[in-house]
Amino acid sequence: MTNKLKISIVLGIMCLALTAGICVQVKTVQSSNSTVSQNYEENNLRAEVLKYKERYDNTIKEIDELDKQLDAKIDEATENNSELEEAQAQIKEGNKIIGLEEVTGPGVIITLSDSQLDPSTVFDPSTLLLHDLDIVSVINELKNTGAEAISINEQRIVSTSSIQCGGAIININGERIGSPFTIKAIGLPESLANIDRTDGYLDLLRSEPYKIGVELKKSNNITIPKYSGVINFKYAKSVE
Amino acid sequence: MKRKGKVTLTITIGIACLALSIVMFMQFRLVNETDITSIENMREEELRTELANWKERYEEANSQYEEKAKKLEEYKQKEESDAETAELVNQELNNVNLLLGKTDVEGEGVIITLKDGEENSEETPMVTPDNLNLLINELKLAGAEAISINDERIINMSDITVVNDTLILINQQRVMSPYIIKAIGDQTYLESTLVGKGRIL
Repeated sequence: MTNKLKISIVLGIMCLALTAGICVQVKTVQSSNSTVSQNYEENNLRAEVLKYKERYDNTIKEIDELDKQLDAKIDEATENNSELEEAQAQIKEGNKIIGLEEVTGPGVIITLSDSQLDPSTVFDPSTLLLHDLDIVSVINELKNTGAEAISINEQRIVSTSSIQCGGAIININGERIGSPFTIKAIGLPESLANIDRTDGYLDLLRSEPYKIGVELKKSNNITIPKYSGVINFKYAKSVE
Repeated sequence: MKRKGKVTLTITIGIACLALSIVMFMQFRLVNETDITSIENMREEELRTELANWKERYEEANSQYEEKAKKLEEYKQKEESDAETAELVNQELNNVNLLLGKTDVEGEGVIITLKDGEENSEETPMVTPDNLNLLINELKLAGAEAISINDERIINMSDITVVNDTLILINQQRVMSPYIIKAIGDQTYLESTLVGKGRIL
């Protein structure tokens, strides 16, 4: 009789534990909003996203090709005309500043990575992560120290670039990038390196309680890619 | 007979428990291994945003492509005539200057005015460079094509700094309250990105 009782109790406890486990899982799955039928939907969406990404990449490649042909044509056309050559030089110079041309030169490379501290040891674990606002501030300071061209994880910063939080990642130029962030800036290296001064933003990130990983390196040969998208003004028109 | 039934029961339950535990472990592992930046693990809502994003970029690229193709065609046609090539090159130069922010521009958009708080109140809330920086960032997100603060045009490499916690410098020029921020772009987008609960304004 006692034996039977024991078995029932053991079984009862096991059942309870398993049920609890299943309940927790079901809840997790519910809160993360995925069921089998949605998964099907998600797969479709995923395929769609990839399709557009590929088409986009292809178009950009074709545009590059066209640009080359155009350049050649324009060179040809302006060859014997000093006035046009001058204009052409200005266009090329302008494109470098806008971010439509790859540029190289001396500058600094800053690497920022999320803090290595154990999240359970701090009151608010989100202080250990790099946020969009941190990047905005660093970029602003770089501009202040005289940067002529800036990229973050190979995304060129142009006049229409916004930096925006997307959960655990950051959106720049519509691309998702995550920690570590490699920020390249071209300019006078000594001047740019001033960004890492006492009480500067990098100093703040490095200090307690954030302990963000900060690394600054001067270099004489930095290449910053051109902007991967398209800049076209639809609303702003020149005043004649 | 009774004993045999018991054994069968125990074994069945044991197997069931084992199977359940294995499934649970598999799930926990799966959750642990999730990498958040990859497209494989995006949720439906994120995917929809991502899709809209890429669609838009693709369409932009496409129109750019068509435009360039047309341009190339024009060059080919007008190869012979110097005057017409000159015109095309000058058009290009004008466009570059427009994108650089070298020309005055006009168009639809929004005007925002920010003022420092009242002098006499206990704590004087002041507009900080951070406020302005974030506002500009939001405006760009909303698709602003041209932005100015107190008629200082914000270009690619414009910076906003503060000296002595009181003087705000934009493009190394001093600006003061009230800050009048003009942005050219789609009015509806600009407004809906800026105004609302939890939004920057």
